[in-house]
Amino acid sequence: MWGPARIAQGLLTDSQKPVAFRFDGHRMRGLSGDTLASALLANGQRVVGRSLKYHRPRGIVTCGSEEPCALVEVCSRGSREPNRPATTLELYEGLEVESQNRWPSLRFDAFALNDLFARFLPAGFYYKTFMTPGPAWERIYEPLLRRAAGLGRLAASKGAPHTPAETIHDHVDVLVVGAGAAGLAAAQRLGRRGMRVLVADEDAVLGGGLLLDERWTPWREAAFTALEAMANVRCFARTAIIGAYGHGVYAALQSLNPAESSRFGGMRERLRVVRAKATILATGAIERLIAFPGNDVPGVMLAGAAHKFLRRYGVAVGRRPVFFLNTDEAYESVFALAAAGIRCGGVIDARTASPGAERARALGIEVTAGATINGVSGRAGVRAVHVACRDARAGRKIEADCLLISGGYTPNTALASQLSAQLQWREEISAHVAALAPASGQMAGAARGVFGLAAAARDGECAAQMVAAQLGYDLGSVAEPALPADPEHTLINPLWEVAGRGKAFVDLQNDVTCEDIRLAAREGYEHVEHMKRYTTHGMATDQGRIGGLLGSAILAQARGLSVAEVGQPKPRPFAQPIPFAALAGAEVGAHFKLKRRLPLQDWHQAAGASFANIGLWRRPLVYSQQPGWEAVLREARAVRTSVGVTDVSTLGKIDVQGPDAAKFLDFVYANTFSTLRVGAARYGIMLREDGMLLDDGTTSRLGAEHFLITTTTANSSTVLEHLEFHLQAACPQFEVVLTDVGDQWAQFAVAGPRSREVLQAIVTGLDLSNAGFPFMSAAAAQTAGIAGRVYRISFSGELAYELSVPAQHARAAWTAVLDAGTRYGIVPYGLDALNTLRIEKGHVTGAELNGNTTAEDLGMGRLLKKNGDFVGRVLSQRPGLSTPDRLQLVGVRPLDPNKQLRNGAQLLRPGSTHPSLGYLTSVSAGAAIDGWVGLALLATGRSRLGQRLVAASPAHDEQTEVAIVSAHMFDPENHRVRA
Amino acid sequence: MSGLEASVDTVLEAGVHLNDYRSDVIEIVARPGRIRELENIAAARGLTLPGFGRVVATGRWLTMSVRPERWLVLQASTPAGARAAQWQTACAGIATSVDLSSALVLLHLSGPMARELLARSCRVDLHESGLPTGRAVATIMAQSAVVIAAIPSGLLVLTPATTARHFREWLLASAGVCGLLPQSANDTLDLFGGSA
Repeated sequence: MWGPARIAQGLLTDSQKPVAFRFDGHRMRGLSGDTLASALLANGQRVVGRSLKYHRPRGIVTCGSEEPCALVEVCSRGSREPNRPATTLELYEGLEVESQNRWPSLRFDAFALNDLFARFLPAGFYYKTFMTPGPAWERIYEPLLRRAAGLGRLAASKGAPHTPAETIHDHVDVLVVGAGAAGLAAAQRLGRRGMRVLVADEDAVLGGGLLLDERWTPWREAAFTALEAMANVRCFARTAIIGAYGHGVYAALQSLNPAESSRFGGMRERLRVVRAKATILATGAIERLIAFPGNDVPGVMLAGAAHKFLRRYGVAVGRRPVFFLNTDEAYESVFALAAAGIRCGGVIDARTASPGAERARALGIEVTAGATINGVSGRAGVRAVHVACRDARAGRKIEADCLLISGGYTPNTALASQLSAQLQWREEISAHVAALAPASGQMAGAARGVFGLAAAARDGECAAQMVAAQLGYDLGSVAEPALPADPEHTLINPLWEVAGRGKAFVDLQNDVTCEDIRLAAREGYEHVEHMKRYTTHGMATDQGRIGGLLGSAILAQARGLSVAEVGQPKPRPFAQPIPFAALAGAEVGAHFKLKRRLPLQDWHQAAGASFANIGLWRRPLVYSQQPGWEAVLREARAVRTSVGVTDVSTLGKIDVQGPDAAKFLDFVYANTFSTLRVGAARYGIMLREDGMLLDDGTTSRLGAEHFLITTTTANSSTVLEHLEFHLQAACPQFEVVLTDVGDQWAQFAVAGPRSREVLQAIVTGLDLSNAGFPFMSAAAAQTAGIAGRVYRISFSGELAYELSVPAQHARAAWTAVLDAGTRYGIVPYGLDALNTLRIEKGHVTGAELNGNTTAEDLGMGRLLKKNGDFVGRVLSQRPGLSTPDRLQLVGVRPLDPNKQLRNGAQLLRPGSTHPSLGYLTSVSAGAAIDGWVGLALLATGRSRLGQRLVAASPAHDEQTEVAIVSAHMFDPENHRVRA
Repeated sequence: MSGLEASVDTVLEAGVHLNDYRSDVIEIVARPGRIRELENIAAARGLTLPGFGRVVATGRWLTMSVRPERWLVLQASTPAGARAAQWQTACAGIATSVDLSSALVLLHLSGPMARELLARSCRVDLHESGLPTGRAVATIMAQSAVVIAAIPSGLLVLTPATTARHFREWLLASAGVCGLLPQSANDTLDLFGGSA
């Protein structure tokens, strides 16, 4: 046995496997199978943290995920994860945890002074104080409050190894939430019928309440054996359903224990998205708190938790416990501890008589009926409890080292509420149950107020019957097995608060007291949702599960209403805290964003290119790692003087076929394509419905009914969607087939005065002479023996061709081009050089096609066809789009060629600072032109050609005198492209 | 109590096999009212055009339909564009055909955990009852467009060529825990064996 409080063999612990861990730097030992909480208790550690506001010492209150107090930081190399409940944190060798919200130490916390000034810190005090002086809030108050409050510290795991979580999608006929008696009974019935069933339980082991009753062990083991044999049933422990989203969609957080985590490469959690045709919520009930002074002293614990610690881990939470309860079910904890040889200091039962009390007395346990506890002696641990008897004037004091309380059981309706179930008050259990719409599923067992394991198991079978029938399955009838009898019990005597001196808490994590709730009611926050937000009751990581209904009851008393009339706050997803890592799933790091790869990505990399992230692509900017313009200009000048080749595979490509293909293109383009001859290409512009420019590019006619559209890289998917929409919505009568062939074709631009000679060496089946294949021609041809296409189009302003080959042959074709161009000094050129070339030529890209420009703005108004309809025609004629003062495309050159132009620089009249007349959209050092060149959008730009303005870049503190020129700064007559 | 998980352990160790395949991929789209004629053309080539959402293997062909009245035809690789040209000629006036051999990458997954692996990120029901052999579906996984076809030898995943590396890297990262064994490129069409 490891630890002084370990008195028995636990159901889950292995006494042969000690596990070393550290708590606040102190070395301790637990057992394999322990949680941190059970190991701390076994080591006699009572105080495990400090409370949020008052910094009061806090201990372990529960044995599960509902734990409000025992939250710790898990420390590992380079990272700290705060707010992990010690009650669900499974122990592993080397675990290091620290207590939270204390300074300098857990034992001595300087901020415990807050408790002395509690009267100045009631609910919502921060709404009324710290108002003046104004600047003090940011500089003094807020930093101080943040230092004094808050739970834990999140330390980024930068540099620390991290294995992403993953997201798994599950589809099932029935999702069973909870693997207690009801859930397991339901799963077996459904599974036997062959239905796909997923059973999820947040606990590390399946069984729920069955684990606490030895009599149910055979039934439980038989259930596991049966379910394990069913391939159609999957059972997941450590899997909490954290959100119910309607239409059968649920989110489940599956935590991996240390052994599993190691097996799965360090992964710690999975997010499972479950889609179920039907659901059974067998989520059980949660034992609840009683409000009385001192109900937060370490050692005050829920009675059921003490039972669980004993049964599951063999740990006695105290040597002399006193019980304070008001239900017969809670007596099971009394009997369990007594059976383990723990001497009970007495039972204080708020009821006057009950079968449980009689059984206890028969065992020699002193039961004080009709009494309450109105105080606890001790600050860092329970030393005694103060009993108040209703029929006696003076109370009495009982020596005790722990106080085990039970205020009844609240059905866990969180998920049902998320599914819009109405809550109905049930007097006999003093709690709400959820009226779930049949279409949403069924509640079963304690979750719908059916207490007792046998009753729950039968209720689970009924629920299974109902959901099966709803899905069209007949489960038939089965012989009802003999089940262990449930103990006799009487009605609960609702007990919410015992008055007395001192703070009585309803929310242990957020330090909300009964008085806070009464204050909220007095100040007008009477609705339960308003009270919640004003006091923060139920807003902590535990969602106030053990005190939620208690808060409603205190509010009801304050308002003179019944609890049924006040209701409960509506829970929302997430029902439990979830790490951000689980929500992020596997799409982090290298997988965060989809990456598209050029067919020649590896070649560009090997050639020493510098890359830029352009949309989803990584495109080669320049084939150099050196910063500056030298390499860029070297590439651009090679194109101007001889020949270069660049990879333009990122262009969108859309195959358009069908008898109505030409008519369709006439409709979606602003210019005409039906007149285009086969074997020719044409530049086209597309408008949005609002008349603004959408995209531009060349379209080639490959056959009478066959076209190929190229789009800009950025707009490839937008244009495809645009075409598909208009084909379906506006032109459904057209017989046209659109196919995205962007990935099919690799495309290279071979540009420069020697480009024809290069192609003549490798392209076969095509007369490349100017007469045989003039500017704006398109044809099928073979490049280095690879069947593809050749287009004579130019973006650079030079004699140029674009070669198109199936992407899987890209490397062979590219290499052939380079080999053929060697004698001409061919160079590969990147996006920067391409940009330089097109700016000199006055060709536009996304910087000018920015969604705010019209065809007229960019000097392409003449392309708009005069006859016939096309997308955007009507609205492009709006007066606002044709006023002369619109921004128009112009060229810009600095008067001093040595002066640099800046993207985004504002164009101003000389000597003025406003108004801005326009701005530079694209700039580059010139390749063929001396000095910098730029394109700009300038108000009444075309009427300003020849003017001198100033390009002001406040960000660079620069003012550059510039001349406004035609956008077509290089070879405006197009001699070179037609050469 | 842990027996239920132990069965999963066994399966995990059985792993998943991943193969890359090359194949000609031709997309054929029937013109309105010409499906019967297209079916006849296909039948003359020993090919069956399956219904929407279905995949069928016939001899050394594999055809599937994940968009209404559109079929993807997969068969052994030929010189670039040759197969598409054949279909273009055969279907003139009846259907359009487009060569997508370079546009789509084929990944074949087999093994008992193949469906479990793809369920990471794929929200389509991949269980044998949801996607039985002979069914095909188009969806998105790991931000990539994919077509998943359940064929007798496993699952065939078609994904765009430019995002295939991203998808494959994601698959490998996700599959490490499943014992996935990447294998070398395979140009055979054995995966089409058996009738779907």
